Amino acid sequence: CRCRALLRRPAGAPQALRGMAAGPDMHFGFETVTEEERREKIYQVFESVAKKYDVMNDSMTLGIHRVWKDILINRMNPTPGTLLLDVAGGTGDIAFRFINYVRSVRQQQLQRKLKHNQNLSWQEIFESYQEGNSNSLGDSQVVVCDINREMLKVGKQKAQHLGYSEGLSWVLGNAEELPFDDDNFDVYTIAFGIRNVTRIDLALQEAYRVLKPGGRFLCLEFSHVSNPVLSSLYDLYSFQVIPVLGEIIAGDWKSYQYLVESIRQFPPQEELKAMIEDAGFFKVDYENLNFGIVAIHSGFKL
Amino acid sequence: AAAGALGRAGWRLWRGRAVVRCQHCPPLRALQASAVLRRVSDEHKKEPLTSSSQQHFDSHPTGHQPDQEPQGPHPSYTGHGGQESEDYESEEQLQHRILTAALEFVPEHGWTAEAIAEGAKTLGLSVAAAGMFHSDGSELILHFVSECNSKLSELLEQEQKLVQLGEAEKKPTDEFLRDAVEARLRMLIPYIEKWPQALSVLLLPRNIPSSLSLLTSMIDDIWHYAGDQSTDFNWYTRRAVLTGIYNTTELVMLQDSSPDFEDTWRFLENRVADAMSMSNTASQVQSTGEAVVQGLMGAAVTVSN
Repeated sequence: CRCRALLRRPAGAPQALRGMAAGPDMHFGFETVTEEERREKIYQVFESVAKKYDVMNDSMTLGIHRVWKDILINRMNPTPGTLLLDVAGGTGDIAFRFINYVRSVRQQQLQRKLKHNQNLSWQEIFESYQEGNSNSLGDSQVVVCDINREMLKVGKQKAQHLGYSEGLSWVLGNAEELPFDDDNFDVYTIAFGIRNVTRIDLALQEAYRVLKPGGRFLCLEFSHVSNPVLSSLYDLYSFQVIPVLGEIIAGDWKSYQYLVESIRQFPPQEELKAMIEDAGFFKVDYENLNFGIVAIHSGFKL
Repeated sequence: AAAGALGRAGWRLWRGRAVVRCQHCPPLRALQASAVLRRVSDEHKKEPLTSSSQQHFDSHPTGHQPDQEPQGPHPSYTGHGGQESEDYESEEQLQHRILTAALEFVPEHGWTAEAIAEGAKTLGLSVAAAGMFHSDGSELILHFVSECNSKLSELLEQEQKLVQLGEAEKKPTDEFLRDAVEARLRMLIPYIEKWPQALSVLLLPRNIPSSLSLLTSMIDDIWHYAGDQSTDFNWYTRRAVLTGIYNTTELVMLQDSSPDFEDTWRFLENRVADAMSMSNTASQVQSTGEAVVQGLMGAAVTVSN
């Protein structure tokens, strides 16, 4: 398996792949390009939008993307002690939400323990503090991995600004060739990132590889709206409004044109489900949010 | 991929009556050496469980799994080896194992996803495997209830065997019912603190079909082993009465703080006695009624003469 051989490659993969042949034709939005070109173009897209990424997300989706991400974490329902790998996690939205969630669950756990301990003597209670039980995250950790240096930079700055320090790591890496060992993580998420991966099947195989047995794969991505009325409204909004917003707010029409086109090119729910199953995941299922504008796919490595 | 066809979470555990449900597994799945679904050993080759038209929780039998041939040994991430993939465990069986393992953590964490996560950990799985189940712990509770019911059935079956072999006396009905209900309720004792939470979850509209069917099948079992052969309306009254007795005793048990729940068993005894005497009273009323009618007829005949 290709992935195994490339295990120990250092991160920063785009350069490494340059040696390969140009590759078969792929889509970049509605254009046709080669595999290699596609990777480069996408890298450039995100390099240029990195600073305005969050602002654009808010304006394009009218803030609803926050709810989608909240729902993703809610479906994950992580317990303290979970090790999360957030791929294409760029500016850290999922990572921060994960930390918040785990922190509050941990609080509840500690409170329950306290209630339980109410009939202990004060000395025993004091001793239980010494056991270092006051770890506020309960040993949970999140690794944010992204292929794009600019996005990671923005993410790190945000983390500093918002005061997130413990349990967070930032790694540069390619979803098609993760710089991690096998059987490592409890949960693998990729939110609005898998659309930009050139070889989705490789990314899914890598996801399978780095997850522990019993681990969960979660993917949040724009998907197919089946309702025709909604679909036409959505198309109207996507093609008329979004690139314009892109020009006004971020000064970058083309990137946002690419964005909406790439959404249309992305496989619909059932097809993605089949691809996930092909990678070896079990109990694969998806949940549509907002009538299919966004879908959460979930699978387990069993 | 027909993975969707695998296991709909339903809960009809009707012991002994099993029809093999033919699931069709996409050939590819079994071939990728699954990380966890392990080779099923003999202990798992129980009698295949059935599905009546609807709900069927447990696994489809192992022998039924991939009969397609593996393409020779292929590298497996966990080194389970490229053996013939004939007897891999199904997803439902794995879920079963996880839930069983999770029961031990219930006294501490309650009937929650946390208990399931801890259970998964003991099996060597990631805590994220708890995501396979609903976050309110419904599946865990239903699993527990159905396990208890099976245990009860086995117990009653063994007792019946002893009676048939002549090694034990056949108990009178009221004692039989009392013992059966007590045995079943005693299975709750290790979890008694968190049981109220479980009851409330069982009453959620989503869970009512399953929990109701588990309850009725248990009551039916008890009456069956008590020797009930009625084919008239009695069948319904008997079951309704016993259900009432069971539920009320369960509630009493939740609030009982006497040593070894003596108060509960005394309550149970009284209720069963009430039920017995009620049926006596009913037949007495009937025969009294008949006697009265006959007396009136006689009087009428006498008067007319």
